Amino acid sequence: MARVRPEPLTITITSDAAEHVRQFAADMGKPDCNLRVAVKGGGCSGLTYDLDLVDAPGDNDKVISSHGLELYVDKKSYIFLAGTELDYSGGLNGKGFVFNNPNAKTSCGCGTSFSV
Amino acid sequence: MVRSGAMTTPTSVYSSVRYECIAAAEGVGLADRSHLGRLKVSGADATDLLNRLSTNKLDDLAVGDVQGTVLTTNKGRIIDLLYVLRQDDHLLVITGPETRKRVAEWIDFYTFIEDVKVEDVSEETAMFSLIYDKVTTALPQLAEVPLYGSADITIGDVDALALRTDFAGYESYDLIAPLEQAPELWDALVEDIGMCPVGSSALEFMRISNGVAGYGSELTEDYNPLEAELIDFISFNKGCYIGQEVVARLNTYDKVQKHLVRLSWDGDEGPDLPAALLLEGRQVGTLTSSTRLFNGDGCIGIGYLRKAYIQDGARLLTEDGLAVTVEGIVRPGKA
Repeated sequence: MARVRPEPLTITITSDAAEHVRQFAADMGKPDCNLRVAVKGGGCSGLTYDLDLVDAPGDNDKVISSHGLELYVDKKSYIFLAGTELDYSGGLNGKGFVFNNPNAKTSCGCGTSFSV
Repeated sequence: MVRSGAMTTPTSVYSSVRYECIAAAEGVGLADRSHLGRLKVSGADATDLLNRLSTNKLDDLAVGDVQGTVLTTNKGRIIDLLYVLRQDDHLLVITGPETRKRVAEWIDFYTFIEDVKVEDVSEETAMFSLIYDKVTTALPQLAEVPLYGSADITIGDVDALALRTDFAGYESYDLIAPLEQAPELWDALVEDIGMCPVGSSALEFMRISNGVAGYGSELTEDYNPLEAELIDFISFNKGCYIGQEVVARLNTYDKVQKHLVRLSWDGDEGPDLPAALLLEGRQVGTLTSSTRLFNGDGCIGIGYLRKAYIQDGARLLTEDGLAVTVEGIVRPGKA
Protein backbone atom coordinates (compact mmCIF):
# COMPACT_ATOMS: atom_id res chain seq x y z
CA MET A 1 0.00 0.00 0.00
CA ALA A 2 1.38 3.38 -0.99
CA ARG A 3 2.26 5.66 1.87
CA VAL A 4 0.29 8.87 1.94
CA ARG A 5 2.61 11.79 2.57
CA PRO A 6 1.03 14.50 4.66
CA GLU A 7 0.75 17.90 3.06
CA PRO A 8 3.65 20.05 4.24
CA LEU A 9 2.53 22.81 6.56
CA THR A 10 2.50 26.06 4.71
CA ILE A 11 0.89 29.47 4.95
CA THR A 12 -2.09 30.23 2.80
CA ILE A 13 -4.16 33.27 2.00
CA THR A 14 -7.83 33.12 1.04
CA SER A 15 -8.92 34.61 -2.27
CA ASP A 16 -10.89 37.28 -0.38
CA ALA A 17 -7.84 38.30 1.67
CA ALA A 18 -5.63 38.28 -1.44
CA GLU A 19 -8.08 40.56 -3.20
CA HIS A 20 -8.03 42.99 -0.30
CA VAL A 21 -4.21 42.98 -0.28
CA ARG A 22 -4.22 43.83 -4.00
CA GLN A 23 -6.75 46.58 -3.34
CA PHE A 24 -4.63 48.06 -0.54
CA ALA A 25 -1.52 47.86 -2.74
CA ALA A 26 -3.32 49.66 -5.58
CA ASP A 27 -4.64 52.32 -3.19
CA MET A 28 -1.08 52.92 -1.96
CA GLY A 29 0.23 53.21 -5.51
CA LYS A 30 2.19 49.97 -5.22
CA PRO A 31 0.22 47.55 -7.43
CA ASP A 32 3.22 45.24 -7.97
CA CYS A 33 4.06 44.76 -4.32
CA ASN A 34 3.79 41.47 -2.50
CA LEU A 35 3.06 40.70 1.13
CA ARG A 36 5.51 40.23 3.98
CA VAL A 37 3.92 38.18 6.76
CA ALA A 38 5.82 38.23 10.02
CA VAL A 39 5.63 37.73 13.77
CA LYS A 40 6.88 40.34 16.22
CA GLY A 41 7.51 40.16 19.92
CA GLY A 42 5.02 42.13 21.99
CA GLY A 43 1.29 42.47 22.43
CA CYS A 44 -0.40 41.29 25.59
CA SER A 45 0.15 37.60 24.88
CA GLY A 46 3.74 37.82 23.68
CA LEU A 47 3.60 37.60 19.90
CA THR A 48 1.83 39.79 17.36
CA TYR A 49 1.27 39.52 13.62
CA ASP A 50 2.78 42.00 11.22
CA LEU A 51 1.83 42.61 7.58
CA ASP A 52 3.74 44.82 5.19
CA LEU A 53 3.74 45.49 1.46
CA VAL A 54 7.25 45.00 0.07
CA ASP A 55 8.93 44.86 -3.33
CA ALA A 56 11.08 41.78 -2.86
CA PRO A 57 11.80 38.99 -0.37
CA GLY A 58 14.65 39.14 2.13
CA ASP A 59 17.71 36.93 1.62
CA ASN A 60 16.49 34.05 3.77
CA ASP A 61 12.75 34.45 3.33
CA LYS A 62 10.46 31.64 2.35
CA VAL A 63 8.43 32.61 -0.70
CA ILE A 64 4.92 31.15 -0.90
CA SER A 65 2.61 31.73 -3.87
CA SER A 66 -1.09 31.76 -3.22
CA HIS A 67 -4.00 33.26 -5.17
CA GLY A 68 -1.70 35.28 -7.38
CA LEU A 69 0.23 36.83 -4.51
CA GLU A 70 3.65 36.04 -3.15
CA LEU A 71 3.93 35.83 0.63
CA TYR A 72 7.40 36.47 2.07
CA VAL A 73 8.04 34.93 5.47
CA ASP A 74 11.29 35.01 7.44
CA LYS A 75 12.36 31.65 8.82
CA LYS A 76 11.83 32.43 12.49
CA SER A 77 8.34 33.79 11.90
CA TYR A 78 7.56 30.73 9.79
CA ILE A 79 8.06 28.49 12.83
CA PHE A 80 5.16 30.26 14.54
CA LEU A 81 3.02 30.63 11.41
CA ALA A 82 3.24 27.20 9.73
CA GLY A 83 -0.28 26.05 8.89
CA THR A 84 -1.77 29.53 9.19
CA GLU A 85 -4.53 30.73 6.89
CA LEU A 86 -4.75 34.47 6.37
CA ASP A 87 -8.37 35.46 5.85
CA TYR A 88 -10.26 38.71 5.63
CA SER A 89 -13.29 39.58 7.74
CA GLY A 90 -15.15 42.45 6.07
CA GLY A 91 -18.33 44.37 6.68
CA LEU A 92 -19.32 46.80 9.41
CA ASN A 93 -18.44 44.37 12.19
CA GLY A 94 -15.48 42.79 10.43
CA LYS A 95 -12.05 42.56 11.94
CA GLY A 96 -10.01 43.10 8.77
CA PHE A 97 -7.21 40.59 8.22
CA VAL A 98 -7.59 37.53 10.45
CA PHE A 99 -4.91 34.93 11.17
CA ASN A 100 -6.27 31.43 11.66
CA ASN A 101 -3.12 30.09 13.28
CA PRO A 102 -3.19 26.50 14.57
CA ASN A 103 -0.05 27.17 16.66
CA ALA A 104 -1.73 29.86 18.76
CA LYS A 105 -2.70 28.41 22.14
CA THR A 106 -4.02 31.62 23.63
CA SER A 107 -4.91 35.04 22.32
CA CYS A 108 -5.40 38.34 24.09
CA GLY A 109 -8.84 39.91 24.44
CA CYS A 110 -8.57 42.07 21.36
CA GLY A 111 -7.21 39.15 19.32
CA THR A 112 -4.14 40.91 17.99
CA SER A 113 -1.57 38.92 19.92
CA PHE A 114 -1.07 35.28 20.71
CA SER A 115 1.14 32.82 22.53
CA VAL A 116 2.27 29.34 21.53
CA MET B 1 37.76 37.29 49.54
CA VAL B 2 34.20 37.91 48.40
CA ARG B 3 33.48 37.14 44.78
CA SER B 4 30.76 39.52 43.64
CA GLY B 5 30.21 39.04 39.95
CA ALA B 6 33.18 40.37 38.08
CA MET B 7 34.83 42.10 41.03
CA THR B 8 36.62 40.45 43.92
CA THR B 9 36.56 42.48 47.11
CA PRO B 10 38.74 41.60 50.10
CA THR B 11 36.53 40.53 53.05
CA SER B 12 38.76 42.53 55.37
CA VAL B 13 37.17 45.76 54.14
CA TYR B 14 33.87 44.81 55.77
CA SER B 15 33.06 45.00 59.49
CA SER B 16 29.60 44.42 60.97
CA VAL B 17 26.11 45.17 59.74
CA ARG B 18 25.63 47.55 62.66
CA TYR B 19 28.88 49.43 62.01
CA GLU B 20 28.37 49.54 58.25
CA CYS B 21 24.82 50.88 58.51
CA ILE B 22 25.78 53.55 61.05
CA ALA B 23 28.92 54.54 59.12
CA ALA B 24 26.95 54.69 55.89
CA ALA B 25 24.29 56.87 57.53
CA GLU B 26 26.92 59.23 58.86
CA GLY B 27 28.93 59.31 55.67
CA VAL B 28 28.57 57.41 52.43
CA GLY B 29 28.13 53.66 52.06
CA LEU B 30 29.95 51.94 49.23
CA ALA B 31 28.65 48.58 47.99
CA ASP B 32 30.08 46.30 45.32
CA ARG B 33 27.08 45.29 43.21
CA SER B 34 29.08 43.91 40.30
CA HIS B 35 27.09 40.69 40.61
CA LEU B 36 24.10 42.38 38.92
CA GLY B 37 23.86 41.77 35.18
CA ARG B 38 24.75 44.42 32.61
CA LEU B 39 23.58 43.93 29.05
CA LYS B 40 24.41 46.17 26.12
CA VAL B 41 21.41 46.13 23.78
CA SER B 42 22.06 47.79 20.42
CA GLY B 43 20.49 48.06 16.99
CA ALA B 44 17.92 50.32 15.35
CA ASP B 45 15.01 48.44 16.93
CA ALA B 46 16.41 47.96 20.45
CA THR B 47 14.26 50.58 22.17
CA ASP B 48 11.11 49.61 20.29
CA LEU B 49 11.55 45.94 21.16
CA LEU B 50 12.22 46.52 24.87
CA ASN B 51 9.25 48.88 24.92
CA ARG B 52 7.08 46.05 23.58
CA LEU B 53 8.42 43.53 26.10
CA SER B 54 8.27 45.44 29.40
CA THR B 55 5.90 47.50 31.53
CA ASN B 56 7.26 51.05 31.38
CA LYS B 57 7.43 53.56 28.55
CA LEU B 58 10.91 53.52 27.06
CA ASP B 59 10.42 55.01 23.61
CA ASP B 60 10.68 58.60 24.79
CA LEU B 61 13.91 58.24 26.77
CA ALA B 62 16.49 60.90 25.94
CA VAL B 63 20.19 60.05 25.88
CA GLY B 64 21.30 59.79 29.51
CA ASP B 65 17.84 58.97 30.91
CA VAL B 66 17.32 55.90 33.08
CA GLN B 67 14.01 54.09 33.43
CA GLY B 68 12.93 51.21 35.64
CA THR B 69 10.76 48.69 33.81
CA VAL B 70 9.54 45.19 34.54
CA LEU B 71 9.91 42.28 32.16
CA THR B 72 6.72 40.25 32.58
CA THR B 73 5.36 36.96 31.27
CA ASN B 74 2.13 36.92 29.27
CA LYS B 75 0.42 36.18 32.60
CA GLY B 76 1.81 39.41 34.02
CA ARG B 77 4.32 37.68 36.33
CA ILE B 78 7.73 39.20 37.08
CA ILE B 79 10.70 37.88 35.13
CA ASP B 80 12.99 40.70 36.21
CA LEU B 81 13.12 44.35 37.19
CA LEU B 82 15.37 46.15 34.72
CA TYR B 83 16.97 49.56 34.81
CA VAL B 84 17.42 50.80 31.25
CA LEU B 85 19.90 53.59 30.49
CA ARG B 86 19.76 55.13 27.04
CA GLN B 87 23.19 55.95 25.66
CA ASP B 88 24.20 57.39 22.29
CA ASP B 89 24.12 54.18 20.28
CA HIS B 90 22.79 51.51 22.61
CA LEU B 91 20.81 50.75 25.75
CA LEU B 92 22.56 49.60 28.90
CA VAL B 93 20.24 47.23 30.73
CA ILE B 94 20.89 46.37 34.38
CA THR B 95 19.33 43.05 35.40
CA GLY B 96 19.07 41.03 38.58
CA PRO B 97 22.06 38.94 39.70
CA GLU B 98 20.75 35.57 38.54
CA THR B 99 18.66 36.64 35.59
CA ARG B 100 20.98 38.22 33.04
CA LYS B 101 21.12 35.06 30.91
CA ARG B 102 17.35 34.64 31.01
CA VAL B 103 16.80 38.30 30.11
CA ALA B 104 19.24 38.02 27.17
CA GLU B 105 17.49 34.84 25.98
CA TRP B 106 14.06 36.45 26.43
CA ILE B 107 15.06 39.40 24.24
CA ASP B 108 16.61 37.04 21.69
CA PHE B 109 13.48 34.86 21.58
CA TYR B 110 11.31 37.85 20.72
CA THR B 111 13.71 39.20 18.11
CA PHE B 112 12.42 38.21 14.67
CA ILE B 113 13.33 40.54 11.84
CA GLU B 114 14.27 43.41 14.14
CA ASP B 115 17.76 44.90 14.22
CA VAL B 116 18.67 44.07 17.83
CA LYS B 117 21.90 42.74 19.32
CA VAL B 118 22.46 41.77 22.97
CA GLU B 119 25.93 41.60 24.51
CA ASP B 120 26.56 40.60 28.10
CA VAL B 121 29.15 43.06 29.41
CA SER B 122 28.78 42.04 33.07
CA GLU B 123 32.23 40.44 33.18
CA GLU B 124 33.91 43.41 31.52
CA THR B 125 32.69 46.01 33.99
CA ALA B 126 32.40 46.58 37.72
CA MET B 127 29.46 48.28 39.43
CA PHE B 128 29.89 50.12 42.72
CA SER B 129 26.96 51.72 44.50
CA LEU B 130 27.09 54.83 46.67
CA ILE B 131 24.38 55.08 49.28
CA TYR B 132 22.97 57.82 51.50
CA ASP B 133 22.35 61.50 51.43
CA LYS B 134 25.93 62.72 51.80
CA VAL B 135 26.96 61.23 48.46
CA THR B 136 26.86 64.55 46.69
CA THR B 137 28.90 66.20 49.44
CA ALA B 138 31.57 63.57 48.99
CA LEU B 139 31.34 63.62 45.20
CA PRO B 140 30.01 67.03 44.08
CA GLN B 141 30.09 65.83 40.46
CA LEU B 142 26.96 63.81 41.24
CA ALA B 143 24.94 66.81 42.43
CA GLU B 144 23.72 67.46 38.88
CA VAL B 145 22.54 63.88 38.34
CA PRO B 146 18.76 63.73 38.85
CA LEU B 147 16.84 60.66 39.93
CA TYR B 148 16.72 58.40 36.84
CA GLY B 149 19.49 60.39 35.21
CA SER B 150 23.13 59.65 34.47
CA ALA B 151 26.45 61.35 33.80
CA ASP B 152 30.01 60.53 32.78
CA ILE B 153 32.30 61.38 35.68
CA THR B 154 35.99 61.00 36.49
CA ILE B 155 37.21 59.88 39.90
CA GLY B 156 40.98 59.96 40.23
CA ASP B 157 42.14 58.64 36.88
CA VAL B 158 39.08 56.48 36.31
CA ASP B 159 36.27 57.40 33.92
CA ALA B 160 32.99 55.98 35.16
CA LEU B 161 29.36 56.08 34.20
CA ALA B 162 27.17 57.27 37.09
CA LEU B 163 23.43 56.68 37.27
CA ARG B 164 20.97 57.39 40.03
CA THR B 165 18.12 55.00 40.83
CA ASP B 166 17.77 55.15 44.65
CA PHE B 167 17.58 51.38 44.44
CA ALA B 168 17.66 50.63 48.19
CA GLY B 169 15.15 53.24 49.24
CA TYR B 170 17.87 55.80 49.99
CA GLU B 171 19.48 58.31 47.67
CA SER B 172 21.85 56.05 45.80
CA TYR B 173 24.00 56.03 42.70
CA ASP B 174 25.69 53.30 40.70
CA LEU B 175 29.13 53.75 39.18
CA ILE B 176 30.01 51.51 36.24
CA ALA B 177 33.64 51.33 35.15
CA PRO B 178 35.91 48.99 33.16
CA LEU B 179 36.82 45.94 35.24
CA GLU B 180 40.57 46.54 34.98
CA GLN B 181 40.13 49.93 36.63
CA ALA B 182 37.82 48.68 39.38
CA PRO B 183 40.53 48.30 42.10
CA GLU B 184 41.75 51.82 41.42
CA LEU B 185 38.22 53.20 41.58
CA TRP B 186 37.45 51.30 44.81
CA ASP B 187 40.66 52.58 46.43
CA ALA B 188 39.90 56.15 45.39
CA LEU B 189 36.38 55.95 46.86
CA VAL B 190 37.50 54.36 50.14
CA GLU B 191 40.91 55.86 50.78
CA ASP B 192 40.76 59.24 49.08
CA ILE B 193 37.09 60.10 49.63
CA GLY B 194 36.49 58.08 52.81
CA MET B 195 33.46 56.05 51.87
CA CYS B 196 32.49 53.13 54.09
CA PRO B 197 32.37 49.67 52.45
CA VAL B 198 28.98 48.07 52.96
CA GLY B 199 28.61 44.30 52.60
CA SER B 200 25.68 42.35 51.25
CA SER B 201 24.16 41.76 54.72
CA ALA B 202 24.09 45.48 55.51
CA LEU B 203 22.70 46.20 52.06
CA GLU B 204 19.95 43.64 52.70
CA PHE B 205 19.24 45.26 56.06
CA MET B 206 18.82 48.65 54.36
CA ARG B 207 16.60 47.20 51.63
CA ILE B 208 14.33 45.28 53.99
CA SER B 209 14.04 48.09 56.52
CA ASN B 210 12.97 50.37 53.65
CA GLY B 211 10.44 47.81 52.43
CA VAL B 212 11.94 47.45 48.98
CA ALA B 213 11.33 44.32 46.89
CA GLY B 214 14.54 42.42 46.18
CA TYR B 215 15.83 40.26 43.36
CA GLY B 216 15.26 36.55 43.94
CA SER B 217 13.04 37.05 46.99
CA GLU B 218 10.11 39.31 46.08
CA LEU B 219 10.91 39.86 42.40
CA THR B 220 10.11 36.37 41.14
CA GLU B 221 7.67 34.76 38.75
CA ASP B 222 5.39 33.95 41.70
CA TYR B 223 4.27 37.58 41.82
CA ASN B 224 3.15 40.42 39.58
CA PRO B 225 4.54 43.98 39.59
CA LEU B 226 1.46 45.42 41.30
CA GLU B 227 1.83 43.00 44.19
CA ALA B 228 5.53 43.95 44.40
CA GLU B 229 4.54 47.65 44.66
CA LEU B 230 6.29 48.49 41.40
CA ILE B 231 3.42 50.60 40.08
CA ASP B 232 5.85 53.49 39.47
CA PHE B 233 7.47 51.32 36.82
CA ILE B 234 4.26 50.60 34.91
CA SER B 235 2.86 52.80 32.16
CA PHE B 236 -0.90 52.38 31.84
CA ASN B 237 -1.24 54.34 28.62
CA LYS B 238 1.71 53.32 26.45
CA GLY B 239 -0.08 50.47 24.67
CA CYS B 240 0.57 46.75 24.54
CA TYR B 241 3.47 44.87 26.08
CA ILE B 242 3.71 41.26 27.11
CA GLY B 243 1.47 40.79 30.13
CA GLN B 244 -0.25 44.17 29.71
CA GLU B 245 -3.78 42.81 29.54
CA VAL B 246 -3.43 41.04 32.90
CA VAL B 247 -1.64 43.92 34.64
CA ALA B 248 -4.13 46.50 33.35
CA ARG B 249 -7.13 44.38 34.39
CA LEU B 250 -5.75 43.82 37.90
CA ASN B 251 -5.26 47.55 38.31
CA THR B 252 -8.49 48.75 36.68
CA TYR B 253 -10.77 46.39 38.56
CA ASP B 254 -8.79 46.54 41.82
CA LYS B 255 -8.14 42.80 41.61
CA VAL B 256 -4.64 42.74 43.12
CA GLN B 257 -4.93 39.87 45.58
CA LYS B 258 -1.94 40.51 47.81
CA HIS B 259 0.47 43.25 48.75
CA LEU B 260 3.96 43.57 50.11
CA VAL B 261 3.88 44.23 53.86
CA ARG B 262 6.37 44.89 56.64
CA LEU B 263 6.59 42.25 59.34
CA SER B 264 8.38 41.89 62.67
CA TRP B 265 8.96 39.23 65.31
CA ASP B 266 10.89 38.60 68.50
CA GLY B 267 14.08 36.56 68.64
CA ASP B 268 17.38 36.44 66.80
CA GLU B 269 16.39 34.33 63.83
CA GLY B 270 13.71 33.92 61.25
CA PRO B 271 12.40 30.82 59.51
CA ASP B 272 13.82 29.37 56.30
CA LEU B 273 12.58 31.46 53.39
CA PRO B 274 10.13 31.64 51.80
CA ALA B 275 7.94 30.82 54.81
CA ALA B 276 4.18 30.42 54.82
CA LEU B 277 2.27 32.84 57.07
CA LEU B 278 -0.77 31.26 58.66
CA LEU B 279 -3.94 32.55 60.27
CA GLU B 280 -6.00 29.92 62.07
CA GLY B 281 -4.09 27.23 60.22
CA ARG B 282 -4.72 28.65 56.76
CA GLN B 283 -2.01 30.24 54.62
CA VAL B 284 -2.71 33.94 54.08
CA GLY B 285 0.74 35.13 53.07
CA THR B 286 4.43 34.40 52.58
CA LEU B 287 7.46 35.83 54.36
CA THR B 288 10.07 36.39 51.65
CA SER B 289 12.92 38.43 53.23
CA SER B 290 14.17 38.80 56.78
CA THR B 291 16.99 40.44 58.71
CA ARG B 292 17.97 40.85 62.34
CA LEU B 293 17.74 44.27 63.99
CA PHE B 294 21.21 45.17 65.19
CA ASN B 295 19.91 46.77 68.39
CA GLY B 296 18.79 43.32 69.60
CA ASP B 297 15.08 44.09 69.37
CA GLY B 298 14.21 41.10 67.23
CA CYS B 299 13.87 40.72 63.47
CA ILE B 300 12.08 42.46 60.64
CA GLY B 301 11.01 41.20 57.28
CA ILE B 302 8.85 41.80 54.27
CA GLY B 303 6.47 39.44 52.60
CA TYR B 304 3.28 39.11 50.62
CA LEU B 305 -0.05 39.07 52.44
CA ARG B 306 -3.53 38.62 51.05
CA LYS B 307 -5.32 41.94 50.94
CA ALA B 308 -8.18 40.88 53.21
CA TYR B 309 -5.74 40.15 56.05
CA ILE B 310 -3.65 43.34 55.91
CA GLN B 311 -4.21 45.00 59.25
CA ASP B 312 -1.54 46.74 61.29
CA GLY B 313 -0.76 44.74 64.41
CA ALA B 314 -2.36 41.52 63.15
CA ARG B 315 -0.58 38.39 64.40
CA LEU B 316 0.25 35.52 62.09
CA LEU B 317 2.13 32.27 62.64
CA THR B 318 4.77 30.49 60.62
CA GLU B 319 4.58 26.69 60.33
CA ASP B 320 7.24 26.50 63.09
CA GLY B 321 4.97 28.47 65.42
CA LEU B 322 6.86 31.77 65.22
CA ALA B 323 4.51 34.70 65.93
CA VAL B 324 4.87 37.43 63.30
CA THR B 325 3.30 40.90 63.54
CA VAL B 326 2.03 42.81 60.51
CA GLU B 327 3.52 46.31 60.52
CA GLY B 328 1.68 47.71 57.49
CA ILE B 329 1.89 47.84 53.76
CA VAL B 330 5.16 49.03 52.17
CA ARG B 331 5.11 52.17 50.10
CA PRO B 332 5.24 51.79 46.33
CA GLY B 333 8.96 51.55 45.87
CA LYS B 334 11.89 50.48 43.82
CA ALA B 335 14.42 47.72 44.06
